[in-house]
Amino acid sequence: MAVNYDPALINKVFEITEPVEVKAEKIQRYCAALGETNPIYTDEEAAKKGPYGGIVAPPSFAVTFRNGRHFFENVPRFGMRGFDAGKDVEFVAPIRPGDNVTLSSHVKEIYEKTGRTGMMVFVVIRSTLKNQNDEVLAHIDHRFMNRP
Amino acid sequence: MNSFEEINIGDTLGPLELFVSKDQCRAYARTMGMGEGAGRFTDDEAARKEGLPGMIIPGNMSLGLLSKLVTDWIGSSNAWLTRMSTTYRVPVQPDHTVTIHGFITNKNPEDRTAEIDVWMENEESERLVTGTATVEFRK
Repeated sequence: MAVNYDPALINKVFEITEPVEVKAEKIQRYCAALGETNPIYTDEEAAKKGPYGGIVAPPSFAVTFRNGRHFFENVPRFGMRGFDAGKDVEFVAPIRPGDNVTLSSHVKEIYEKTGRTGMMVFVVIRSTLKNQNDEVLAHIDHRFMNRP
Repeated sequence: MNSFEEINIGDTLGPLELFVSKDQCRAYARTMGMGEGAGRFTDDEAARKEGLPGMIIPGNMSLGLLSKLVTDWIGSSNAWLTRMSTTYRVPVQPDHTVTIHGFITNKNPEDRTAEIDVWMENEESERLVTGTATVEFRK
């Protein structure tokens, strides 16, 4: 049985968030919570001599931005229970303290798969992070699994 | 870290052994500003009410720890983690030791990238989170 959905859902940007300023202090707290010690993320002096000429956030910091108020309202559901199945993140450019980051999100794809536990419908939402210069920082694909 | 020319398929990253405490898990959830509905990441009782065995580590925190294995390996070189893909297989519980492993599965000289399988195991060697990473060795 093929999954039915409105094809107009695909690729339509449903939300762009307000810009969020990346505070140096938040990067520090993020590093502390993960036990991060790499000086290019934690030590301003050492980072100046590093490949980015100053502190940058660890790449995974990209997934910490809030998805926006209407994000979950726009994730198509298929009358079943939903789970966070995983993420696929493409890191395009480093995130730096002082950056103002916005996220725009759209439905990238909807597909079904039959696994050990039966039929599942996957909904992939792509969020793109940009900075104040309209440069792409990262693409984040959120994979949500729906199961009966 | 080794140069692109020096790495080989089959090389391993880590293992990185970590004891993730409940407080560390709460600190992560707080830093991320997780509010309503984040009880499963901060409170055993709230997690049990959702049918979980107790508090669990946020999926994004697992993604952060798997990424850390790769960025520790990169160190302060200009190699760049271009992609990280994760699958959450089994809920990860804090106050346990987890081990994070990596293994180079492919090396592409055309774009100077390496593909790496990464995964997080519990004390019973059960794979809780699996993933793949791509690193580009920039000149």
